[in-house]
Amino acid sequence: MTIETVFLLVFALGALTGAVAMFFLRHPMRVALALIGTMVSLAAIYAQLGMHVIAVFQVLIYVGAVMVFMIYAIMLLDVRDRSFTERFSPLLVAGLAGLLLLVGVLVDGLLRGQPFAAVDVPPEAFSVGTFAIVFMEQFWVYFALTAVLLLVAEIAASAVIDIRRRGQDVAAAQAERGNERG
Amino acid sequence: MNGLLTLLVLLPLAGFLVNGLFGRRLGPAFVNIVGVGLPLAAFAVAVWAWRILEAGGGEPLIETVFTWALVGEHVFEVSFYLDRLSAVMALIVTGVGALIHIYSIGYMKGDESYARYFAYLNLFLFFMLLLVLGRSLLVLFVGWEGVGLASYLLIGFWFQDVDKARAGRKAFITNRVGDAGFLLGMFLIFTTVGTLEMDQINQAFAGGLIPVGIATAAGILLFIGATGKSAQIPLHVWLPDAMAGPTPVSALIHAATMVTAGIYLVARMSGVYLEAPAASTLIAVIGLLTAFLAATIALVQTDIKKVLAYSTISQLGFMFLALGVGAYAVAVFHLFTHAFFKAALFLGAGSVIHALNGEQDIRRMGGLAHRIPWTSGTFLVATAAIAGLPPLAGFFSKDEILWFALASGQGGSFWFWLLGSVTAFLTALYMFRLYWLVFLGRSRMAPEVAAHVHESPWPMTSVLVVLALFSVVAGWFALPQYLAPLLPAPDLRFAWPILHWGLIVFAVLVAVAGLVAAGVLYGDGGRRAEAIERRFARLYRVLAGKYFVDEIYERLLQRPWRWISDRVFLRLGDRILLDGSLHGLAALARRGAGVLVRIETGSLHWYAWMILLGLVAVLIWVWRYV
Amino acid sequence: MDDTTFLLALSGMLFALGLVGVIVRRNLLVTLMFLELMLNGVILSLVVFTQLLGAEAGAVLVLLVFVVAAAEIAIAVPILLLLVRAGHTLDPGAYAGLKG
Repeated sequence: MTIETVFLLVFALGALTGAVAMFFLRHPMRVALALIGTMVSLAAIYAQLGMHVIAVFQVLIYVGAVMVFMIYAIMLLDVRDRSFTERFSPLLVAGLAGLLLLVGVLVDGLLRGQPFAAVDVPPEAFSVGTFAIVFMEQFWVYFALTAVLLLVAEIAASAVIDIRRRGQDVAAAQAERGNERG
Repeated sequence: MNGLLTLLVLLPLAGFLVNGLFGRRLGPAFVNIVGVGLPLAAFAVAVWAWRILEAGGGEPLIETVFTWALVGEHVFEVSFYLDRLSAVMALIVTGVGALIHIYSIGYMKGDESYARYFAYLNLFLFFMLLLVLGRSLLVLFVGWEGVGLASYLLIGFWFQDVDKARAGRKAFITNRVGDAGFLLGMFLIFTTVGTLEMDQINQAFAGGLIPVGIATAAGILLFIGATGKSAQIPLHVWLPDAMAGPTPVSALIHAATMVTAGIYLVARMSGVYLEAPAASTLIAVIGLLTAFLAATIALVQTDIKKVLAYSTISQLGFMFLALGVGAYAVAVFHLFTHAFFKAALFLGAGSVIHALNGEQDIRRMGGLAHRIPWTSGTFLVATAAIAGLPPLAGFFSKDEILWFALASGQGGSFWFWLLGSVTAFLTALYMFRLYWLVFLGRSRMAPEVAAHVHESPWPMTSVLVVLALFSVVAGWFALPQYLAPLLPAPDLRFAWPILHWGLIVFAVLVAVAGLVAAGVLYGDGGRRAEAIERRFARLYRVLAGKYFVDEIYERLLQRPWRWISDRVFLRLGDRILLDGSLHGLAALARRGAGVLVRIETGSLHWYAWMILLGLVAVLIWVWRYV
Repeated sequence: MDDTTFLLALSGMLFALGLVGVIVRRNLLVTLMFLELMLNGVILSLVVFTQLLGAEAGAVLVLLVFVVAAAEIAIAVPILLLLVRAGHTLDPGAYAGLKG
């Protein structure tokens, strides 16, 4: 049992704990924190595997952007409604049965698989430099496209919200006029 | 000249198309020119073809028009065949047909559907010519069905009257029953001989290699078709009802031509019947029975056209009697003479009806002889002809039939002759009864009818004169000898010339006796006859009720069939099975959808769980079975 | 069991937990978070295979997936906000309008 394996085990355990905890925590904020814990453990695993670039991006993007956004949403919404008092949906038992089923199938499939052939990995394979070169050479089209599409989505979203808001303004103005007359 | 027969057949068809499509718009004069001119042209072509036939020494003319179908090795062609027999038939059809077309100009004048009438009449001519000129049974059958169609259309010509329309339908359906037998006969012959060309069939049967049973079966089946078309027992019920059509139609179709198609068929297929004595005997028996029973019914009928209808049935029975004893040419001879005097009688009756403005009941006629002399004179001539008074046409042909009924070596018997003679006596009796009650004695007409009695216009009377003339002379053509190469006379049982002459004298006496009896019974307006009717009231009721055959058919056949149609086919078959299965399928789809829609709960959790199940299923399938 | 297999098993577990979480929890925000958990499980397996095969392009692909995930959240959360503003509850059961 090498030290690498121990590290992997420890952080894997951390990830699992976070995931399972998400099931039982009531307040969405706490659920978010558990998820963050899982994500950080995953970043550690990536680092342990030698892919430091990915690990950093995991923390930066996922924890730093995605989860923060979710926390904004949690803060904005009044979360103390029925979903707070009753955590679980009517399908709790069915869901757990499904969980066992799915895990069973996955483990079965995994155990049937052939062991993986080891490949010689050059030491500089996952460094920033290599990453940057591959990024620019092979993937720049996709990222550019993604950027454009994100821009389009952003504009569309603002347009929708603007129309809605304008519609609500008009409706509110009409209601006021109606109140004045009546 | 090639194509002559095809031209002959197509001329009336052209008349049908032109008059049918354009006649209404182009007026009666145009309809007359096309509708009468084309049949006259057809008659001219028929004569021309006949001259060519004679010039070739009687060698048959064969014209192939086109190949209808190729099935495996069998070829079905549409071809025309002119030998002496079909020449005689074609001349009768076009000749008498053309005369009746001319008569119709007068009779149907002013009718609303003038063009339609002539179109249908031409259509009938076309199909009848197909029938008599066809070389194969298939072409004959097309003509057979076609004349049935034309008959239906013409019987129900004034279809706004429901009874008339029903009469047309009855004719067609009764014919179809006979046609079932005809078709089976055709199938049998085809499987046995391998061809439907009639001359080849006759040769094959004459070769003697075909078992008697098959010949008998084929003969009987074809005869069933003939009973339908030629109104013999048991399929005779449509002919009296067919009198609902215009009188020229009755003359042409139900006296001179269409009803003779059955005779023609049997004569044409003589090769088969010569090998099937049992079938021939059956034909003779049925023919004779029909002749006798129809004559008894004719005796008590009170509608002028019904008397003639039953008379036609009776005379057709005589022709079948001749066919049944192997005297095929004699039957055709009687067909020939009968065409003339029966057409004259029907057209004369039409003239009477025209003169009396639609009256058809002979109890309300009488004393017409002086007022419509042309009609009366021609009617008398035709009546004498049918009664068999020499030297008129009917005497020759009927006498030959009675002689062969007795003396033929192929089934002749004393009882045939006896019943045949009794029937001949009845024929003379009822025909002269008709003449007396209609034309002689005191007038029993309604006063307003009597005031307007007038002779018919010249298109009608001229045709009557021509037909009466032929009724006189037609018997002098030695038709049996003319047809003998084709249809030889049967061997005689005993060849005593004295017997033949004795029979002839006896036949004349029988006819005269009928004439005298009619005079006695009906001379004074029918009072003596009425006294006899009262004495034999029950017999009279049976005869007047036509032996209740229609009622029997209604009870035995139509009521159960209507029950089956309603209960089995309509309620069970159509509503429950067909509609039910369709509705059942729809209900199945509806219920299936009703069950499946439960999956769409609208709940997010449920959908996600469905995704999980699906995922598990796919994984299992991919990892275990792929 | 070697490292690779162990990590793949972990990836599968995270995915399964994520899917079941969507089924089981009754809060839309929590549902979104469980979807993120599922995605993380898949990314883990992608990373494992990249490392195993030494494919440099795999790392960039992982980055691409991160970007798409972020964009997806950027859209999903506002949609959720608008929905909740109209429906006034975070319970998915209230949004069963497509039933039948």
